[in-house]
Amino acid sequence: MDPTLVLQGLVSGVLAAGLYALVSVGLALAIGVIGVINFAHGEFFMIGAFLAYQLFVSFGFDPLLSLIFVAPALFVIGAIVYRSTIRYVLEAPELNQMLLTFGLSIIFQNLALLIWGGDPRSISGVPYRSIGVQLGGISIGLVPLGSFVISLVLVLALYVGLARTRLGRAMRAVAQNRVGASLVGLEVDRIYLVAFALSALLAGIGGVMIAVIQSPTPTVGFAFTLKAFAIVVLAGLGNIRGILWASLAVAVSESMVATLVPNGDALRNAVFFAIIFIVLVGRAWRRA
Amino acid sequence: MSATAPTAGTPALEIHGLEAGYGKIQVLWGIDLTVEAGSFVTVIGANGTGKTTLLRAVSGLVRGVHGSIRAFGQDLHGHSPARIVRAGIGHVPEGRQLFPLMTVAENLASGADYLPGAAREITRSRATVFELFPRLAERQLQLAGTLSGGEQQMLAIGRALMSRPRLLLVDEPSLGLAPSLTKAVFRALAEINRAGVTVVLVEQNVQRSLALADRAFVLENGRIVKQGRGSELLDDPAVREAYLSL
Ligand SMILES: Nc1ncnc2c1ncn2[C@@H]1O[C@H](COP(=O)(O)OP(=O)(O)OP(=O)(O)O)[C@@H](O)[C@H]1O
Ligand SMILES: [Mg+2]
Repeated sequence: MDPTLVLQGLVSGVLAAGLYALVSVGLALAIGVIGVINFAHGEFFMIGAFLAYQLFVSFGFDPLLSLIFVAPALFVIGAIVYRSTIRYVLEAPELNQMLLTFGLSIIFQNLALLIWGGDPRSISGVPYRSIGVQLGGISIGLVPLGSFVISLVLVLALYVGLARTRLGRAMRAVAQNRVGASLVGLEVDRIYLVAFALSALLAGIGGVMIAVIQSPTPTVGFAFTLKAFAIVVLAGLGNIRGILWASLAVAVSESMVATLVPNGDALRNAVFFAIIFIVLVGRAWRRA
Repeated sequence: MSATAPTAGTPALEIHGLEAGYGKIQVLWGIDLTVEAGSFVTVIGANGTGKTTLLRAVSGLVRGVHGSIRAFGQDLHGHSPARIVRAGIGHVPEGRQLFPLMTVAENLASGADYLPGAAREITRSRATVFELFPRLAERQLQLAGTLSGGEQQMLAIGRALMSRPRLLLVDEPSLGLAPSLTKAVFRALAEINRAGVTVVLVEQNVQRSLALADRAFVLENGRIVKQGRGSELLDDPAVREAYLSL
């Protein structure tokens, strides 16, 4: 094995892990606080990517600038989705919730297909897209590095926010005991709305970054839903530090398989299924 | 929403024709009940007669109730639990409903944090709670989920007190407690009442709660079938036979 290749795979994996963590904490927020298993999470990510693309094409907005618009837009979209659909299935059986979010995911994909078509859309014109440094045969792109840093900052901000702010404590209270939360004066439905909207916002910011890293299509969200589920399953809920480690494990495994296995690129998604499978079987074993 | 000042003689709680249930199952069939401000009231009754449902209807946890519920003259009907606690009503619910992954201190703070009036008084309220339950002061950094049953009950009462309620609803605080702890909890409730808080206590420990109560109500199959002074009911042969198995 070529050691440079291994190192390159490692570095690429670590850099990708930031974005994975960002998308996963959003999913964990929806599952942990509201208890809703959101298969449409990746679609918020996709919408973020296409909004950034559109702002770039229509107004020439740099993706970093478009964050200022995309983040609140996703917050509002998340709030609308919660208000119009999710809140009505909160008491429904889990299967119904999953079917609903699965349906939402398909609707969003098709809407995007209608608006933007199925071809990959790239923000090719940003000047820093191809900038990178070479370190002894390993290349580190400015964009992956930047997305890693931004993601990490946001995940840490969420961590601190949940621990330290009033809203964060309120979310933890609602997550831990809904009845208790309402008895201490929290409007549980409002907290759910904010948590879901925040979850969509975090995914959307991730999407803006993928719009620069890759050339997304309307189905880009699905792979990220899968990744986020693998990471959340690995980390367990209510555990942001766990999500960081799990993201690292998942992203590095993916990157290693893609770089080291012949035709490994096609196996990327298989990596997540394998991780979900191994973790669940492993847990079942330990419990038995 | 701010609570209206209690005028002299306004009852702490006034319930008329209250009907409540869960979906198609009706549990309460027209409850009439008045609780004088400052009094200590107990509601007794067999398992499944609707005692918990009654308290949950008052604090807004049961939705879609019929009839009228007023506290300190203020109409509570249809309000959310979050608004009802703002009207000065604290609820120590069945099952305690604490935040298991938060510390004792955090659970207590949560009782005051989201209510502007209570938040300003948080230091004083905390001191009062620790005076009442010194055990909680020793365990401030312990996670609520790891407390013993008795400590959890103290914490549940403490958290409700942090909202500085004028009316405290307490659901079976002695459940699962050793006699010595039960005694401590009852003593605390009496002390809370002496400090001016109206208390409505639901209890299986009929002997103790009747002895403590100014007024008692007997609930049977969702209806109030008897009421009187606590000591009166304690001497009532029917009550003694049904609830004290004497
Ligand atoms: N969430 C619910 N859904 C459906 N039925 C319920 C629900 N909660 C309570 N019930 C039913 O309502 C009736 C009254 O219950 P409630 O909890 O008010 O009784 P209780 O007097 O507090 O009993 P206990 O002394 O055992 O606590 C019971 O028959 C119970 O099965
Ligand atoms: Mg009960």
